Amino acid sequence: MILEGLAKTTLLGVEMGMTLVLVTVGLTLIFGMMDVINFAHGSLYMLGAYFGLTLVSVTGNWWLALLAAPLLVGLLGGLIEYFTIRPLYGRNPLYHILLTFGFAILLHGLVTEIWGGQVQNIETPALLSGSVDLVLFSYPLFRVFLLCVSIAVTAALWVAIRRSDFGIVMRASAHDSEMVDALGTDVSRVFTAVFVLGSVLAGLAGVLLGTSQAVDPGMAASVIIQAFAIVVIGGLGSYRGAVVGAFVVGMLNAFGPTFAPQFTDALLYLLMAAVLLVKPAGLFGNPEGA
Amino acid sequence: MGAKDIIGRHFAAQNQTDVLGGRVRLGLLVAGVIAVLFAPVAKVIHPFWMDLATHMFIFALLALSLDFVFGYAGLLSFGHAAMFGAGGYATALLIQNVTDSALVVLPMAVVAGAVVAALIGWLSVSARGVYFAMLTLAFAQLFYTIAFNDIPATLLGMETVTNGDNGLVGITSLTLFGMDTGSLMSYYYLSLAGLAAMLALVTRLANSPFGRVLQAIRENEDRVAFIGYNVDRYKIIAFTISGGMAGLAGGLWVPFNSTATTSMLHWTTSGELIVMTLLGGMGTLWGPIAGAFLVVFLEDSLSAIGNWEIYLGIVYIVIVIFAPRGLSGIVQTIRTNPNPAVLLSEMRSALATYRQKVFS
Repeated sequence: MILEGLAKTTLLGVEMGMTLVLVTVGLTLIFGMMDVINFAHGSLYMLGAYFGLTLVSVTGNWWLALLAAPLLVGLLGGLIEYFTIRPLYGRNPLYHILLTFGFAILLHGLVTEIWGGQVQNIETPALLSGSVDLVLFSYPLFRVFLLCVSIAVTAALWVAIRRSDFGIVMRASAHDSEMVDALGTDVSRVFTAVFVLGSVLAGLAGVLLGTSQAVDPGMAASVIIQAFAIVVIGGLGSYRGAVVGAFVVGMLNAFGPTFAPQFTDALLYLLMAAVLLVKPAGLFGNPEGA
Repeated sequence: MGAKDIIGRHFAAQNQTDVLGGRVRLGLLVAGVIAVLFAPVAKVIHPFWMDLATHMFIFALLALSLDFVFGYAGLLSFGHAAMFGAGGYATALLIQNVTDSALVVLPMAVVAGAVVAALIGWLSVSARGVYFAMLTLAFAQLFYTIAFNDIPATLLGMETVTNGDNGLVGITSLTLFGMDTGSLMSYYYLSLAGLAAMLALVTRLANSPFGRVLQAIRENEDRVAFIGYNVDRYKIIAFTISGGMAGLAGGLWVPFNSTATTSMLHWTTSGELIVMTLLGGMGTLWGPIAGAFLVVFLEDSLSAIGNWEIYLGIVYIVIVIFAPRGLSGIVQTIRTNPNPAVLLSEMRSALATYRQKVFS
């Protein structure tokens, strides 16, 4: 019995952690390259869920929604970066916080206006409903799928950042964007591309979590704080840090309610504050940037 | 050297380049007189206006407290909700359990806000820029979750302290010199007096050498440290003073609203405050007050035609991009150059800069 519960909670923690990676990666990559703290990132995640909701109800095809909704969110993210964040490069980075917070307000208002404030649900596709038997316990099939997709995307991204040409340019821009610019790569395009990438991943997480959990206008505010905690713990700007941070927070979210339901959130913020105080650059951050 | 010494020694105000120059002071005085005369008029038209104005005064006080650290010391606090909530919950608990005398309750609200601010400030000030913002956010959320999960009750073994998600409801009004301030009119004046007193205090502080050091820290904190000032101590003191004001705002808000809820402590409250401060123009003191008036007014009047967040969000985004000095910056441009052509050319150059940055 204990073993079963332990295994199940661990799996839940891994699942929560891996899906949080999708939300967080964009946030940390964007900060690493552009020093932009994107307060609207949670709102992009929320939009992914709402786009998915509408696409499923209109076309009836969940797979199409899974593909199209993140792309739409990516497009929107690109527009936001191009027309509003770009003019602020060179100003005090605090202005990015102020600006993107404006988008968080605006998008919250728009979503409530268009889709209403009630809690909704994206219907699980027939192919993925039901549950699978995992020897010790059974687990909903959709959430196994969720876990697999998250792991696959995280791994693919890891390889892309480490190996692909774009990944190299990206890392170089994070290190010294002026030099990359001088060497003939248009850094501002790289910035836009990274912003779009981060938005697509947030949108993807929105569709997936909107299906396994719920869709409501409050989802942006709750996820963004968790995502901030993750990037702070892992280190602002570090991909590896985001993965580790998400894993830690996922486990905390899974085990907390069983062992210390009242203190789960408090622990999260304490952890966040402790990391900032002891190691402001985070576990894997670049201390020079802090 | 204690905190009192630093403030006291620097209190001998100087007059060159004063914060809030003569004309602004005159404007504020006129606004104050109008506000004093407004209440009886509003009572005749509709009590709703008095209610709205009281709401405005309290949030203006809160925005003023943020401006003192953000606009002057350059500390972007994303945790002012913690001090607002601390003052609010302290007030609620005092009224419920001890006394409803404003002369006891409001000072205690200030103390509650200041203590929380001193704690957060002491831990956070060595972090800079976004890290400071993140730290204050984390601490404020910590207070939020403490109230939301009623952790004090668990720790003290009591049934309830903050009453969790429901908050403390049915808070009665304050009494002042034996008079009940339950009527809207008296509460209106109480809040107005609180705002005016704090504005006077902050203006004096901002114009004192203490305020000048804060401004210098905002401009270049390394240099201030090299000259020999203890930068962290100045920041902590500024943050504590600001927290005391936020606590007072909380203390005024709770009896006015007759509830103390966790939403006071939520990070979105801190965010809303930043919106007010920036819309009005940070570092000007009167700007954030105007910003708070505007936001509260928009919140109230736009909710009739639709979702106010949409309009507020758009206005705010445009201001951040094109007029980072906020409404007060626009007013200042007009005042120094009353010629409409100058304003037009300023707008044109702002647009040109925007175009160049976006499409280059």
